[in-house]
Amino acid sequence: MTWGLLLQAGVSGLLLGGVYGLVASGLSLIFGVLRIINFAHGAVMMLAMYTTYWLFALAGVDPYLSVILTAPLFFALGVVIQKVVIEPNRLAAEHNQLLLTLGLALFFENLALVLWQGDFRTVRVAYSNASFMVGEALVEVPRLVASGGAVLMAVGLFAFLRLTDVGKALRALAEEPEGAALVGINVSRIRAASFGLGSACVAVAGALITPFFYVAPDVAESFNIMAFVVVVLGGMGNFVGALAGGFIVGLAESLGAAFLPGSLKQLVVFMIFVIALLFRPQGLFGGSRGR
Amino acid sequence: MGAKVAAALAVAALVALPPLLPKYHLEVLISVLFWAYLGIAWNLLGGYAGQFSFGHAAFFGIGAYTSTLLLLQVGLTPWVGMILGGALAAAFGLFEGYLSFRYGLKGPYFSLVTLAFAEMLRVVGVNTKAVGSSLGLVVPSAKAAPAMFMFSGKLPYYYIILAMGALALALTWKIGRSRLGFSLAAVRENEDAAETAGVDALATKLRAMALSSFLTALGGTFYAQYFAYIDPTISFGPSVSIGALLPAIVGGAGMVLGPVLGSFVLTPLSELTRYALRGRAGADIMLYGAILMLVISFLPQGIVGLVRERRARAGQR
Amino acid sequence: MSEHTRGLSGEPVNRRTFLATAGAAATVAGFPAIVRAQAREVKVGYLLPVTGPLAYEAGLALNGLTLAVDEINASGGIKSLGGAKITMMPGDTQNKVELGNSEASRLIDQGAVAIIGPFSSLVAFSVRQVTEKNKTPFLLLAAVADNLTEGGLKYIFRMQPNGKGMATLTVNNMFEMAKNANVPIKRVAMMHEEGNFGTTMGNHVEAFSKTMGYELVQRIPYNLRSPDLTSELSKIKAARPDLLIVSGYYGDSKLIAETAAKLKIGVTALVGLANAAYSNPKFIAENRELTEHLFDGNYWYNPQSARARTVFDAYQKKFGSTMANHGVQGYQVTFVLKDALGRAASTDRDKIRDAIAKTNLTDQILTQDAIRFDDSGEGINATPALIQVQNGKPVVVGPARFAEAKPVFPVPKWKG
Repeated sequence: MTWGLLLQAGVSGLLLGGVYGLVASGLSLIFGVLRIINFAHGAVMMLAMYTTYWLFALAGVDPYLSVILTAPLFFALGVVIQKVVIEPNRLAAEHNQLLLTLGLALFFENLALVLWQGDFRTVRVAYSNASFMVGEALVEVPRLVASGGAVLMAVGLFAFLRLTDVGKALRALAEEPEGAALVGINVSRIRAASFGLGSACVAVAGALITPFFYVAPDVAESFNIMAFVVVVLGGMGNFVGALAGGFIVGLAESLGAAFLPGSLKQLVVFMIFVIALLFRPQGLFGGSRGR
Repeated sequence: MGAKVAAALAVAALVALPPLLPKYHLEVLISVLFWAYLGIAWNLLGGYAGQFSFGHAAFFGIGAYTSTLLLLQVGLTPWVGMILGGALAAAFGLFEGYLSFRYGLKGPYFSLVTLAFAEMLRVVGVNTKAVGSSLGLVVPSAKAAPAMFMFSGKLPYYYIILAMGALALALTWKIGRSRLGFSLAAVRENEDAAETAGVDALATKLRAMALSSFLTALGGTFYAQYFAYIDPTISFGPSVSIGALLPAIVGGAGMVLGPVLGSFVLTPLSELTRYALRGRAGADIMLYGAILMLVISFLPQGIVGLVRERRARAGQR
Repeated sequence: MSEHTRGLSGEPVNRRTFLATAGAAATVAGFPAIVRAQAREVKVGYLLPVTGPLAYEAGLALNGLTLAVDEINASGGIKSLGGAKITMMPGDTQNKVELGNSEASRLIDQGAVAIIGPFSSLVAFSVRQVTEKNKTPFLLLAAVADNLTEGGLKYIFRMQPNGKGMATLTVNNMFEMAKNANVPIKRVAMMHEEGNFGTTMGNHVEAFSKTMGYELVQRIPYNLRSPDLTSELSKIKAARPDLLIVSGYYGDSKLIAETAAKLKIGVTALVGLANAAYSNPKFIAENRELTEHLFDGNYWYNPQSARARTVFDAYQKKFGSTMANHGVQGYQVTFVLKDALGRAASTDRDKIRDAIAKTNLTDQILTQDAIRFDDSGEGINATPALIQVQNGKPVVVGPARFAEAKPVFPVPKWKG
């Protein structure tokens, strides 16, 4: 057990956590407003990653720049999904809504498989392999950018929700659904916007991930469960909490990998998950609603 | 009256036809009954008690591993190992249930906790050499030995799962008409109101959990003996967890025949889509996902719910 | 009966005519056995994860199968069966256990005399139940789990190296190479995916350490979905190994190689063990710098064999891609079956099974001596090749008698 290993685990953990937080922020937002656990979140990110890939492969668009195109595109997709699939069922039992998003995830993942087959694709940019050392610890530039993106997104969302009308309406809807309707907020439009916004966020996440992670129909599986853990830790609906939760999960995973034998690092994350669910389901930082 | 005749015919067909079926069809039928059985077991907790578990594979795996390890290490017949596995699973279910219900986890939070527990068992299984880790456990099956739950040919397994399903169905039906059933319904509809009316919600939910996990574990042993191989991913993974709940939801959660109908629809459906759309990787599951969404949207109470609704409306005319 | 018997119409009836007439009469009377014996096709079923996550690899194996079947049929089919052609019956397992089961049953129901497949060891466990119960020869493709041939089964055969063979012979090949280069290997580290495949390999590498005299300083299983393996590789770097062995699939193996390079992990070589990526031509083409000088112990064609080179070219021409391990297997296992069918001269499954058991095939394209099976169905001489990526091409560098190039060892880039 050397300090070098501990330092590396810490650094990698934070970088990984940033990625998790980035992926989870949209999920947190969607839960906060719509109260649904969106199992299709990772699948939407996967579609965004493919979009990023094709923009890069066919038109040479840099993944980071492509968010200008993908974010609005996936906002629109999110709105469509919400209006077509979620909204008609908004009064359905919660478990049915869960299964809806599960069916949607299956649909999207296999749509990708049909369209683009299962082989891995990579976005190879000049900075894909850029890295530097901090003492004995490796820092990979694309992951650092993604983590930075996570922070920016949290700040951006925070500002958006505080300062814009749509943002305020979103918050109102999240905190007081009945009251929001009474004060004249167009509830169905805001609901659609929230899913759109959440999808746009995860699309940005996908774009930021492609420089260092492969693109394939099943990439969602690497992030889905972690995204839920992060959202629970951060507090459902609290996307700043999601960022913090992401760092915690990333660190736990990375330190677990450094200190535990085998692949038991996965156990650490799940135990944190269970403990958080049992003892603080409103999240470490408080969510928009508790139980 | 017509329904009763149809039911009798169906039962007669289920009992008498299989020896005449070609291998492949018998396989599919065993599959249908297997998932129906797991759905019935899940339904006790998910449908009747309204506690939507996403991690029933935990109990399935405990059943499979318990009976198989006892068989391999001390030569205990799986017929007995099955019961022990069920008891162990029930104990784990009570532990999981007590923690969750005592801390007030409901709805999707409860679902996520059950998912986490199943995944934790999977990770432990993968990392434990004593239970074979990812190499899994091979169940001896070369020679037939009915006393050891080993048969040559598929037919005996068919009748076993048929019997298990029938028993589970009978149990569900009985519970539905009992006081426990009444309590379950009350808790499911409105837990607070039920409490006020004097129902011990915690005890009720725990009873459902114990029964559900016990039965699910028996299914795990069946699987181990039929497929003669188990490993952590098969036993504790999401395919069992999801596979156990889908028939109940599609068929009608909280209704006796729901999981049976659901399985009779879903299993052949997935076979059909797979056959019809072979050649294009993923097209069949894409269709399956779409159909799932449609069914959930338009049949929120499942098939049985739809039938009941129609009947009620017909009765009102 | 005598040669000349008077038939009903008074014509002389000789034996040949009588037998022909009897045959015709029997057909009319509906005796299927006789009709089948005159069939011009032999049905062989294959089980592959054609759709689903392993579709790409399955496609490569299928290419090999198709190439072989086309070659066999074009050159006259199975001569001892009257030139009967092989008809391949497709079976899609989607890499699922229950499907493996039901598809195998279906294929056998529909007349398959043998089953080839199913790729994943997990599915293989379930399929072998069906094939054994139905006394149908089952020729494994890809599945490495050692215990597949255990249990006294009679109808299962594995042409390629099993897990133990893969692991021990690859380590052997590496040590042989190290000895020739005068660079000792004393400390070995291993990373493997946590599933059946990886764990099998890990167990063997661990068990083999005493025999070969190395210390397994780190053995780390990982979940192949893990997005970051930096901590694990740091642990490995800290243990100062001479060699890092990696048994993984595509995405994870790529991540490991990338991270190991960035960490300057300090080994003399990174070697894949039946790795899905390190000798994969597509992976190599898309990751030139990363893959240069990576080793992989895997099944491969024999570059010293003229026939193998011909097949390689034919594959390239037909499919527009480089023939690699799965294609090689698909091709060769079909020829094992063809050879057995020829010797059995029958479509009776038991006779075919016995013929396979007696296989002694020297005309083959693998990096091994004659293909023969032991009592449990394992290929006795099965040997993996040691492959290294040189200038963007996977080349065989071991065992020496099959090598087409000298290995670059030690590999400088791991030390930075």
